[in-house]
Amino acid sequence: MALDPVARAAIVAALGPDDVVDDPVQTRAYECDGLTGYRVRPEIVLIPRDAEAVARAVKACHRNGVPFVARGAGTGLSGGALPVADGVVISLARLKRVLEVDPENRRAVVEPGVTNLEITAAVAAHGLYYAPDPSSQQVCTIGGNVAENSGGAHCLKYGFTTNHVLSMEVVLPDGELVTLGGDSPEQQGPDLRGVFLGSEGTLGITTKITVRLLRTPETVRTLLADFPSVAEAGEVVSDIVAAGIVPAAVEMMDTLAIEAAEEAVHAGYTVGVPAALVVELDGPIEQCDAEFTQVKEICDAHGCTRLHIAGSPEERAAIWRGRKAAFAAVGRISPDYFVQDGVVPRTRLAEVLGRIADMGDEAGLRVANVFHAGDGNLHPLVLYSAAAGETERAEELSGAIAELCVELGGSLSGEHGIGTDKACSMPKMYGEEDLAVMQRVRDAFDPEGICNPGKVLPTPRLCGERPGKYRPHPLEESGVIERL
Amino acid sequence: MTTPAGSADTNLPQTGPSAFDEHHPPSRELLDDCVHCGFCLPTCPTYQLWGEEMDSPRGRIYLMDLAEKGEIGLEGPLRQHIDACLGCMACVTACPSGVQYDKLLESVRPQLERNVPRTPSDRLFREAIFALFPYKRRLRAAALPGALYQKLAAVPAVRKLAAKLPGRLAALESLLPPVTVREAFATLPVHTSAVGDRRGRVALLSGCVQDVFFHRVNEATVRVLSAEGLDVLVPRDQQCCGALELHAGREDPALARAKRTIERFERLDVDHVVTNVAGCGSSMKDYAHLLADDPEWAVRAKEFSARVRDVHEVLAELGPRAPRSPVAARVAYHDACHLGHAQGVRTQPREVLRSIPELELLDIPEAALCCGSAGIYNMIMPDAADELGKRKADNVRSVEPAVVVTANPGCLLQIGKHLKDGTDGALPLLHPVQLLDASIRNVPVPRS
Amino acid sequence: MSDREGTLTALKPASLKEAREAVLDTAGRISVAGAGTAADWAGRLGPVDAVFDTTGLSGVITHNPGDMTVSVHAGTPLRALQEELAKHGQHLSFDAARVADGATVGGLVATADAGPSALVHGTLRDLVIGATTLLADGAVVRSGGHVIKNVAGFDLAKLLHGSYGTLGALVEVVLRLHPVPKAVGTVVVECDLAEAARLGREVLASQLEPTAVEWLSSGRLLVRIDSTDEALPARLERLTRLLGDGAAVAEADVWGEHAALTRGTEGAAVLRIGVKPSVLPGVLEGLPAAAATAGLGTGVATVSVPGTAVAEAHAAVHAAGGTSVLRSRPADLDAPAWGPPPSALAVLKAVKQRFDPDGRFGPGRYDPWEIS
Repeated sequence: MALDPVARAAIVAALGPDDVVDDPVQTRAYECDGLTGYRVRPEIVLIPRDAEAVARAVKACHRNGVPFVARGAGTGLSGGALPVADGVVISLARLKRVLEVDPENRRAVVEPGVTNLEITAAVAAHGLYYAPDPSSQQVCTIGGNVAENSGGAHCLKYGFTTNHVLSMEVVLPDGELVTLGGDSPEQQGPDLRGVFLGSEGTLGITTKITVRLLRTPETVRTLLADFPSVAEAGEVVSDIVAAGIVPAAVEMMDTLAIEAAEEAVHAGYTVGVPAALVVELDGPIEQCDAEFTQVKEICDAHGCTRLHIAGSPEERAAIWRGRKAAFAAVGRISPDYFVQDGVVPRTRLAEVLGRIADMGDEAGLRVANVFHAGDGNLHPLVLYSAAAGETERAEELSGAIAELCVELGGSLSGEHGIGTDKACSMPKMYGEEDLAVMQRVRDAFDPEGICNPGKVLPTPRLCGERPGKYRPHPLEESGVIERL
Repeated sequence: MTTPAGSADTNLPQTGPSAFDEHHPPSRELLDDCVHCGFCLPTCPTYQLWGEEMDSPRGRIYLMDLAEKGEIGLEGPLRQHIDACLGCMACVTACPSGVQYDKLLESVRPQLERNVPRTPSDRLFREAIFALFPYKRRLRAAALPGALYQKLAAVPAVRKLAAKLPGRLAALESLLPPVTVREAFATLPVHTSAVGDRRGRVALLSGCVQDVFFHRVNEATVRVLSAEGLDVLVPRDQQCCGALELHAGREDPALARAKRTIERFERLDVDHVVTNVAGCGSSMKDYAHLLADDPEWAVRAKEFSARVRDVHEVLAELGPRAPRSPVAARVAYHDACHLGHAQGVRTQPREVLRSIPELELLDIPEAALCCGSAGIYNMIMPDAADELGKRKADNVRSVEPAVVVTANPGCLLQIGKHLKDGTDGALPLLHPVQLLDASIRNVPVPRS
Repeated sequence: MSDREGTLTALKPASLKEAREAVLDTAGRISVAGAGTAADWAGRLGPVDAVFDTTGLSGVITHNPGDMTVSVHAGTPLRALQEELAKHGQHLSFDAARVADGATVGGLVATADAGPSALVHGTLRDLVIGATTLLADGAVVRSGGHVIKNVAGFDLAKLLHGSYGTLGALVEVVLRLHPVPKAVGTVVVECDLAEAARLGREVLASQLEPTAVEWLSSGRLLVRIDSTDEALPARLERLTRLLGDGAAVAEADVWGEHAALTRGTEGAAVLRIGVKPSVLPGVLEGLPAAAATAGLGTGVATVSVPGTAVAEAHAAVHAAGGTSVLRSRPADLDAPAWGPPPSALAVLKAVKQRFDPDGRFGPGRYDPWEIS
């Protein structure tokens, strides 16, 4: 089912040749995002330069019934930007202007291709910053953050993208430009802004985002503490929470993750310790200092073997560099790995880690753990060697870990999204009726089912069999687009 | 059931024979290192300019991977996007997975040069560039006042270009700064003794472009090194190190120059071979890798590369000894890509500059982003280079410096050109050692 | 509604199962009611055949203090829930005035109500992490979950937030909790709105991290600090210094007056408006307000205006780029409940159509937009 030539011509004409990539080789560069196990070559890639051009592009797709997928920096880890065969990719890479910085109202208006970190860079001179900080913040775009409702290390205290976006201008799947949300938290009817956020590009394309900015805290205190066991480190987190302290961030890494991160960025972590915690407090100086003292006492009470307090902004940056590089750095200690993303209620962290360790032993595979301990968001990294034929086992283990999270009362995903990758796992977490109603929301926005089809919600066509590490995507294989 | 996320390689199937020939194709291991995370995108100049995946490191590696898997050929998009790469290596710095894009590019460019014919005009232009730049004598002729082609009529490649594509010749000429006859023909002393107790002995690569257009930098370098207690040798008959050709994928001439350079310097009884040019340092440090499978040269190249140092590395390691007089100025330091990204030398130049009393050191926004010079890039891709140059100049201006310093002649020419396009042509652009030299000698900071 | 009560079928389920059966067994239109603290907010309810009373669905379902989350039946009065949570040093960081009147969790979500601390903690859309909703066709849909961080599936609870009972009936709600601040203090300054706006800007530009910054039409600016016993005195002192002469740490309950003002004055129409914080003072100056509270950091204000001024007020707020909705008003007032519709009206209608194709739930709540 090739793209109809008339449709193709109309779509290309919507933007003009400078903003169109349709060479069969060049378009292959767009065939996957950060999750490379799934690949589908788009027929056309459109790279518009402003919101109106995005609307024209979407209108052309809509009029011709051609499915389209929005793409930001392509860093997603769930295949949310996986193209549709014979479909269109709309890249937002050129919509990267910071349109307005409004220090008085503590907000900024930006285009979707602006990276998360560029927002903070643009407003820092006013003593403001944009709070959500996914590990990929230097590269991931705010448009992608909106699609995924991205979190980050500091979301324990400050919340997620949804808590920091006041409004968005979006192109609906029929090409209409509308605004969701408003100038204040007051709503005009149901929170359409809120349901659009985190819908993984299935309800439309964001073209302008008004983000809330926070005043930079007066003090930031960061410590890195080593512990004799993951369980002890977990106890520390529980005690901090029980003391009524809301840290800006609490992150945990285990031996393997520490080793990888240290090898990559030499941030001063202790190689060989069973567990390390990064705890960060921020706020007015009196309170921050008092609570920081309490946190140190809690660490000591749990057999902390080394307590390193960042003495300068550079030392703080080094600690975070180590933490944020951990994912990609694992490539240095293992030829292959899978990144998992699951959530458990925080009080079940020790239990889930114990079970993951057992499952790893049983499978004969190593599992490195990096996680947001404060909110129970795990990122187990299953290490394996494809060359040694461990792929299948690793894949099963990683999948079993995600489902274990659901079993323990958690979630399939804390921040990476469902995308293509976990759509077929959704029935583990939600019932048929739940999913059917989610589909109704989708139909309300996109009755033709052309906006990022095949993502988030399971379909029989996609989920008939368990997809492997790399097998052709069913869409790719059949050349047929599943219209939802 | 769940499919786990974050596969560590692209796992493209091998669908045919590799499109690369057997002489140093990009290695499978290096290609597989890329996990497609995209951390390279924000620092890639061409991705910043155009926002196209194929013109990002991740996209280029993906295309290389496809070619290696036999899915696409070398001609067409692969060549187009590899040509568009500045080779600034900002992606190497940014990559958390340790992908060696430098090595990948170094193997792919010669593959393209060998296997994919260029259009006649492109070929002409490149021939002219490489007939000119590595040769001090020809550069001197070009540098003197007057029309370039008249002075260079004797060089056949330049004559041809002038006849067929005068516009591109003019573009090339516009980058070359005016230089006095005295400076163009000046030479450095072969031996300069250390001042005071000798702390070591080094040989200096005087460079080709550097020695003609920035002879004053070489002079300052010799003075500073000797003032800091080093004997400095400058072999008279040295030639181009091959950096420009190497970075353009002209493997054979580059290797020939590498061997000549090794030969010239290996005989000298020195602790280090020192260069004040970022591009030369990065290529000379790379000789070991380039010649690793040449039985006659592997060991010699390894020993040579191990001795190569950027001038700032030497100065920072020695620590300041010569007394410095204050230079009370706001000084912006621009990291040359081949120093910062390719050699990882970032702290040492800053350390050296901070050793000057009262100097206020400024970092430039978007420091990791290339200025657009990139070897011969501003000659072959002038539009992209101009955009980057303008952006760099804007960033430089934003910190309101009194002096701008950087350790690569290409960057000096490029940033100089774009600062002049603005209103601040008077802003002095120097090599860091020129500032240090002025401080040590207690003379006014030079204007150029 | 009270005048029609006699002709209505009263549905008061005590379980999810009963709730579902009640909706399936009822033909015709249904209004959803909690404690009735906001029954006359938003568009005037059209004729209905039954009232779905959630107050039989009450109580905590699960509360694991270590996880700082709680799931409750939607008809649970928030006041009662807070008392329960307080035993564990926790609470829902939410302080809308009508909590004290017995408002239910579900009702507070459906009306998108919020209090002064929304400046820091947001509204309930920021605090609800999961919900179970009953739709007009009997579908029971769960979304979200029991963990703070969760991006699996569409966040349907967001749609219910501010839906005024038009899309379905909330039956269970999962909330994220915070520790109860160990010490709370408020600094008061007597001043007019212009001066309050100036001071508010300074406080918000500072690093003192106020939890609430509200001006009251009685001529007082209130700035609240949530802190610890050790740190509160110093923080209040710095705040007092910043606010200058006339600023003083308040006696115990200054916020009661704030709550009273948001309930409105007798005989007036209460409008809830939201604009950019910087334009709020200007908008308020232009309204014939008998009483007002103004969130200087959030841009959200609650004002009492004469019924005759409602349409004009909507227009003024709209012209300032903001949104407005009518809350309590005299029973006989014929004034539009909403200003001009949002640009995404078509989506709103489409969602309503998919959730409640026969227009059974909450008819009239979005008039004059003609959603259903």
